[in-house]
Amino acid sequence: MKRRTCTLIFALLLLLCFPQQNAWAMHIMEGFLPLKWSLFWYALTLPFFIAGLLSIQKAVKVDPGVKMLLGLAGAFAFVLSALKLPSVTGSCSHPTGVGLGAILFGPWVMCVLGFIVLLFQAVLLAHGGLTTLGANTFSMAVVGPLAAYAIYRLGERLSLPRWLSVFLAAFLGDLLTYVTTSVQLALAFPAPDGGVMAAMVKFMGIFAITQVPLAVSEGILTIIVFNFLLAHNRQELEQLRVLSRGV
Amino acid sequence: MFRIDQYAYTSRLRHVHPGEKFAFAILTMFICLAASTVLVPLLVTCLAAAAVIMVARVPARFYFRLLFLPLGFLVAGLLAVTLTISRGANPAVYGLVIGGVTLGVTGPALNQAALIFTKSLGAVSCLYFLSLTTPMVEIISILHRLRVPALLVEMMGLIYRFIFVIMETAGMMYVSQGSRCGYAGIRTSFRSMAQLVANLFARSYHRSRALYTALLARGYTGEIRMWEEPRPVSAKHLVLIALVDLTLLVLVLVTWRWPV
Repeated sequence: MKRRTCTLIFALLLLLCFPQQNAWAMHIMEGFLPLKWSLFWYALTLPFFIAGLLSIQKAVKVDPGVKMLLGLAGAFAFVLSALKLPSVTGSCSHPTGVGLGAILFGPWVMCVLGFIVLLFQAVLLAHGGLTTLGANTFSMAVVGPLAAYAIYRLGERLSLPRWLSVFLAAFLGDLLTYVTTSVQLALAFPAPDGGVMAAMVKFMGIFAITQVPLAVSEGILTIIVFNFLLAHNRQELEQLRVLSRGV
Repeated sequence: MFRIDQYAYTSRLRHVHPGEKFAFAILTMFICLAASTVLVPLLVTCLAAAAVIMVARVPARFYFRLLFLPLGFLVAGLLAVTLTISRGANPAVYGLVIGGVTLGVTGPALNQAALIFTKSLGAVSCLYFLSLTTPMVEIISILHRLRVPALLVEMMGLIYRFIFVIMETAGMMYVSQGSRCGYAGIRTSFRSMAQLVANLFARSYHRSRALYTALLARGYTGEIRMWEEPRPVSAKHLVLIALVDLTLLVLVLVTWRWPV
């Protein structure tokens, strides 16, 4: 019995080390969700996606150059997620770009760009999947950017210092993305005793190891990026109408 | 730059009509997900592996390395699915007791984990079959024919092309920062990375403006048309796909009530 217990503890510790190696651990992998939940998340993402497409269409009508800009913005987001982020815990991870993208391009555009980026990540990098694309888009390209953008605007309204609202937007955007993914997994796989809530606690506990340090790192990185942009690229930011209240 | 993309362009199945490969991958994936026992997902995994390694001639070593890629998520996710935490001793739970709380696994949970594991493996194999045999440009052209909104298809084409340009720019910046000790410590790492991202953003912005100007100068009217290589649809392939998928579907129905 004693040996069994030791083995079990050792196995658990080993498994807990695993996600840190895999930096994109929060993309729900292909085939992990049951069919009906995959379809459910696709359906839930659809209205946001259509709203995003319509808003892009409107912008393109005013200035056809927007299409090129968004094409490069999407590629920028893809490359951003492939960079190695220096992490506060020492293990390496990748930025999601959710907060930065939402502040720069707005949440509706990010929904469409995020969908395409996630599709490319599934096909070109084998991260995420086609059946889980709906669920991943909902957590990473709908909830994350909407939350980040809302927090950023709220921070501005409350006249918080800019670095604080940028940090909170990126940090909470990441955290909410991870909470959403946990909810998605918990809904699909409720615990036999305790149901969805217990399952959610389990999923959040396991993924917290990688996701909380990542959110902190990304928050810090986004502040520094934003400071550089403000110092050197004010004109471009103004064209994107980020500085809505002219500083 | 991406190994998967590279194999997609050099695989033996490159000249098969992309619609056939797309239909096979997606249909098989859905059948695999509909399965309620491990048999069909395992069959799908073997089938896709055989098709990729023996027919498309992708090196087996690379393919198996690719299969290990999602393991991190799979292990963490399955751990959360199987792990049961209950108060007091529970005879059905195999595991250890820490301070009156039982931490362990149950029989049904293990069965469920095995099913999820094989289903994920099968679905991932289908995804790999598609991405290792069909270049992105052809997948985009299928989406265009499936009446996906033109704006979306066009943006996908643009993004796909720019990924390589921006990736190269980012890579060069990274190397030159690294050669100046830009990633020596945690503080400088953050600073360098932020500088890289900000610069990359500015570069992308200006490149998009330049591109638009260049397109306008060549008579751009809001649409970029690409030449597509004509690919004949093969009746033989269609029959083969229908046969394989029908067999799998029948197997799903036959094994519906099996215990595992």
